[in-house]
Amino acid sequence: MSPSSPLTILHVDMDAFYASVEVRDNPSLAGLPVCVGGPASSRGVISAASYEARAFGVHSAMPTAQARRKCPNMVLLPPDFDRYTAVSKQVMDIFRRYTPTVEPLSLDEAFLDVAGSERLFGDAREVAVRVRADILRETGLVASVGVAPTKFLAKLASDLDKPDGLRIIEPDQVREVLDPLPVSKIFGVGPRTARRLNQQGVETIGDLAQLPRAEVQAEYGASGLWIHDLAHGIDLRRVSSQRVEKSHGMERTFPKDVSDFEELGNMLLSFSEEVAFTLRDKGLRGRTVTLKVRYADFRTITRTRTLEFATNLGPRIFSTAKQLLDKVDRGPLRLLGVQVSRLEDVRQPAQGSLFGAAETEDSGEGSRAAWMASSEKLSAATESMDELRRRYGRRTVVPASLLRQLREGDDGRAEPKPEIAETAD
Amino acid sequence: MKVICDREKLREGLALANNVIPAKSTKPVVENVCLVATDNALELVGTDMEVSLRYCIDDVKVEDPGTAVIPARVAFDFVRDLSGETITLEVKGNTCTIESGADTCELVTVDPDEFPVVARFDGESTITMQGGNFAKLVDQTAFAAAREPGRYAMHGVLAELEADTLRMIATDGRRLALSETPVDGAGGDGVVQCIVPTRGMQMFVRAISDPLDQIQLQFGETKVGLKTKNAEVFARLIDGEFPRYAAVIPAETTRRMEADRDLLAKKLRLVANVTGDEARAVKLKMSKNKLEIFGQSAGRGEATAHMEVDYKGDSAEIAFNPDYVIDGLKNCTLDTLSLEFTEHTSPGKFQLGEGYVYVVMPITVDV
Repeated sequence: MSPSSPLTILHVDMDAFYASVEVRDNPSLAGLPVCVGGPASSRGVISAASYEARAFGVHSAMPTAQARRKCPNMVLLPPDFDRYTAVSKQVMDIFRRYTPTVEPLSLDEAFLDVAGSERLFGDAREVAVRVRADILRETGLVASVGVAPTKFLAKLASDLDKPDGLRIIEPDQVREVLDPLPVSKIFGVGPRTARRLNQQGVETIGDLAQLPRAEVQAEYGASGLWIHDLAHGIDLRRVSSQRVEKSHGMERTFPKDVSDFEELGNMLLSFSEEVAFTLRDKGLRGRTVTLKVRYADFRTITRTRTLEFATNLGPRIFSTAKQLLDKVDRGPLRLLGVQVSRLEDVRQPAQGSLFGAAETEDSGEGSRAAWMASSEKLSAATESMDELRRRYGRRTVVPASLLRQLREGDDGRAEPKPEIAETAD
Repeated sequence: MKVICDREKLREGLALANNVIPAKSTKPVVENVCLVATDNALELVGTDMEVSLRYCIDDVKVEDPGTAVIPARVAFDFVRDLSGETITLEVKGNTCTIESGADTCELVTVDPDEFPVVARFDGESTITMQGGNFAKLVDQTAFAAAREPGRYAMHGVLAELEADTLRMIATDGRRLALSETPVDGAGGDGVVQCIVPTRGMQMFVRAISDPLDQIQLQFGETKVGLKTKNAEVFARLIDGEFPRYAAVIPAETTRRMEADRDLLAKKLRLVANVTGDEARAVKLKMSKNKLEIFGQSAGRGEATAHMEVDYKGDSAEIAFNPDYVIDGLKNCTLDTLSLEFTEHTSPGKFQLGEGYVYVVMPITVDV
């Protein structure tokens, strides 16, 4: 799609989403600098900041301690993802009234392609107005919307008049809008590329667009072609409602460094179970397990292992992650995470195996490996357990080895959650 | 050392040796070939430390016995491109001269003492059999051995010598090929078992120049050797535990289909064309004397083929990776093969020849 394509793409971005949900549900917070995030005492970070807080220079992903220094009066709230997820679902449902082509990017933003909806709802501009009105009326929240011929421009547009903005970039305004913007506004131009471009004398998107294409390619390779296209407003990506998840994982930064590898093993089990549950819930399974470890000195390593067959069973993911954990250097850790990638649909045909896992992989402990071999049994049992989890909550059924932890209240819920991040892309 | 020999024979020998000798090694000396000239023979020795070869060229004129270690690739390339009928190899100091007619090449030699010791056939051979029979067993099984990293024991072919039978088995965990042939004089009680790396097996087969010639096999603790008229090949055994293969070969099944090998292969290829790259699957649907082969992929479309078969049971279906089945059919020695299975989730057993079975695990779809 080029800038001259029809104007059909919307990018909708909820303004300060988590913070806004909190203020909506507790009006006494209105007008205050409200942040959602983990406490500074346990190395929390800010997940969302209200515009009042942003005025002090606070932004998301900033360590809470730093945010507190910038804005001593900020109101810090622990996140409540269940509530945000529910509101998010409400918002996404509103989008789907206007078009089936909705591509959620996260809980609080999505692309919509309204091509084909004109006769029912009017043109993109009109849909944008209606979507914003629906969201405000039904959820009490404010969204910014960008309308443009391409995804990149739509996303740029929603950002231009934030908060509570509606910005349309018409095909003939593309140059006018893009030219003065700094190159760092281009998706794919990070701080390093921006610095390199600046050293070349390229400050604005206009400057970049002026450069010969071959020159940008020679300097930046394939990504050079990509950013050069974007600088011209060319973005061939379609809005896809079937966004394929590539990985799913969970990681946690500890309030205090953890050196006890037995305790780390238990956490790994708990993460593996959670990740496995989510995969099953989404009808996915994956072949590659990645362990992420960050030492006290911030040295971060990842270790990866690919399984013979894709899995979405917690014990299977755990045994692989545990083998990887056993091989990394011992030392106090500040972060531990596990991720499963190379995902596939469970309905995808699966090649059967002649031998049990115990025969085909050197799975460390024999007894565990033998247990894994009975994965068919495990699958059947898992189904019933999932039923319970869906009905009564995820913590209804947990591995026995995690029970003690749970009783002691360290179930990850008693504490604010931002340091536990579910990752998916 | 000074030797005069037939160019073509030397070329053949060097070509065979270069199948063993690595182009690049962490131990550079093994990138060389060792030439040993004795009375009336020239021996070429090469190894990659896993597999080794001694190849003997007779009818050479040895003017001065001796040993030379020279770069194997260059030596082969040069000998191949020479045009004369005979070649003179001569070592003076640390230079080896290869000369034929008006053309010469001088190669820098390596100290022979640095060259690793390479096994030699001695003592009793375990069995003697026809080279062609041995090669057939390898061809019918080695293709099924694992190639992906991680499962060491499956990266080879299990050779089993039991009473008067030599059996080879290879598997990658999804399919398994087993082929056996009667041999004379194995005699001993008990079973000799060893896992020969696939590469070693392939080298054995390459060394068999005439399928009608007898070969000798020697099973050792850490290596297995094969001797032909001109060559001795040793392969270091894989020290690992081969999966318990016998348990996965179905003994009794409830369904059996017989089909023409060539027609089935043709139809499978036809349908496989539409299946995707990931999780390739074709479904075989059987009803009375009929087989329907169906394949599809989300991106490309679907295809159906029909053929007549011999099938008596109730309607049934089973899905396989077509590549696996076709691999087996390529080595099938019967015009009409049989497929037996019990359920769409249990292994399919193909009878592809006398003493030759091929077990393939089906592809199943959950939900």
